Amino acid sequence: MSGDGGPCPPTEAVIVGADLAAGHDGAAELVLRIRYANGVVGNVLLDADAGYALMRNCDIDSLDGLAGQSWRKILEGV
Amino acid sequence: MYDIVIRNGLVVDGDGEAGVLADVAIENGRIAAIGAVTGEARRTIDATGRVVAPGFIDPHTHFDAQLLWDGQARPALEHGVTSVIPGNCSLSLAPLRAADRATVVGMFQQIEEMPPEAFTEKYAKWTWEDFAGYCATIEPDLAINVAPLVGHSLIRLWVMGPDSQQRAATPAEITAMQALLRQCMRDGAIGLSTSFVDVDANGRPVPSRFAQFDELDALCQVLGEEGGRMLQVVPEFYDADITIARIDQLAELSLKHGIPTTFSPVFDSNATPKAAPRILDRVAEQVARGARVWPQMQTRPIDISFSLLNPSLFLARLPRWVRVLRQPLEKRLAALEDAETRRMMIADCGADGGEAMFGGLVVRGGDRAPQAYVGRRLGDIARERGEGAAEAVLNISRENGLDVAFLAANGGHHDTARIGPMLANPLVHIGASDGGAHLASFSTYGDTGYLFSEFVRKSGDFTLEQAVKKITADTADIWGLKDRGRLKPGLAADIVVFDADTIDRLEERAVHDVPGEGLRYIRSATGVDVVLVNGAVAWAHGAYTDARSGAICG
Repeated sequence: MSGDGGPCPPTEAVIVGADLAAGHDGAAELVLRIRYANGVVGNVLLDADAGYALMRNCDIDSLDGLAGQSWRKILEGV
Repeated sequence: MYDIVIRNGLVVDGDGEAGVLADVAIENGRIAAIGAVTGEARRTIDATGRVVAPGFIDPHTHFDAQLLWDGQARPALEHGVTSVIPGNCSLSLAPLRAADRATVVGMFQQIEEMPPEAFTEKYAKWTWEDFAGYCATIEPDLAINVAPLVGHSLIRLWVMGPDSQQRAATPAEITAMQALLRQCMRDGAIGLSTSFVDVDANGRPVPSRFAQFDELDALCQVLGEEGGRMLQVVPEFYDADITIARIDQLAELSLKHGIPTTFSPVFDSNATPKAAPRILDRVAEQVARGARVWPQMQTRPIDISFSLLNPSLFLARLPRWVRVLRQPLEKRLAALEDAETRRMMIADCGADGGEAMFGGLVVRGGDRAPQAYVGRRLGDIARERGEGAAEAVLNISRENGLDVAFLAANGGHHDTARIGPMLANPLVHIGASDGGAHLASFSTYGDTGYLFSEFVRKSGDFTLEQAVKKITADTADIWGLKDRGRLKPGLAADIVVFDADTIDRLEERAVHDVPGEGLRYIRSATGVDVVLVNGAVAWAHGAYTDARSGAICG
């Protein structure tokens, strides 16, 4: 906890959400929302292989479990 | 005596002006007169109640291989497309040494999804190596005009061999590439294509991706010296920030060398709704500086396709489905045979049995898809089978070795209220059809008809005349196709006669007309009566003709 009682700011990037999108090639793709340590939120796009690998690395069975996971799990999945 | 007179049509000449009732006379492949034509003709086409417009130009295709056995580029021609630009995304079929054919075939198979048989001696007339040879090989059978790009990956592969997929080029190699590009331009290429995205059959980046900026700069110098011709680029389109950086890079190349540039694809996504507007804003900033940077946007929505043969993210919010799909195929098949597993998977889909998630899907094909189901809505099929929608997905899949594809229509780039104004933006180039590519994934045909049905008749983002201009004169001007894109006396008689009230694309369907019995998805046209290419009737009232009047053009 920080001094004012609020949560500590993250010291590294964290996945804060995930959405599905239609890819150029007609496959479903995963749009991850990443919040970086400076507070900026950006997107990272993953294909099916990388998305399933990410879920495996996070030990989850649904995209709904991605929020709160470290960005490092993405690298492990690529 | 004229060869052909098209009488009493609403002539929409491509410049965006209001259409006028007039006749169009054709002689020796060119437009001879427009107005009240009194002279006689060997053939008269009655266009009463129809629009007479310049033939449509498709600026982003991959017909390079198909043109070897299909000079009509079916079904592009029947949609009113009279000129196509192949060779996009760094890939053409020349210049190509015989020893490197297998390498390039692998790249084409990756992006076009063609079976290997399509490239064998039996179907492809593999006699050429240089660009002139390729053009000479396809031109005799062309029923459609072809304005080919030369691919950067091919230029690189020719000069560097296997090293083209290993390293940056030396100064001497860059000089050799410049000379080769110059020769290709003089042999018929209308520009250069490059890619920062594509991979070959082994998942390895295509040669163009190993180029440093100085190499691209040197090649653009040649484009400038050869008349200011086009550089086409596939940027990292999945990331708006990188795409914007590429726009800046293209702008610098455009300004430095006096060339037009274009990039594709740009599409709208509900998941990243700010991306396309940001990209178009950056284009506007660079155009204001005097750069020529044209973003290509497709008219058609993106449909998501999946089967249970491979894990799809479409199903990735359903935990029990994910657990099953993660398994190797044999175990996956076995798991799906277990009734309790299926019951739990169906339970994942909610109290409606998956109707909300799956009911609207369409069974689209796959080698083992039951023909009685293809093209039909899954909810209807499920009711017929006495099953819920999720249960039907599982059972139809397992009954057919999982090789049944389902389609979720309008998965992206489908919000007409957002896309219409973007397409109508004068800085946006309508393109990115990808005709001749993605064969086994979705149909890339009929974007022109969809422009009229969705964005003229339905949304009103375009007038008829504006829509015609966007895919004729605008395209010709952007690409420097001086003889095309307008109905004017003296220009090539590339003409489409269509019904403004009905022109459209029809439903997607699977056909096996690629050499080697290869599958592809196509859409036929409706509302297109007659298509003329260089003054010859190439399509009339639902049938192709024997005309082979197409040409290499530029």
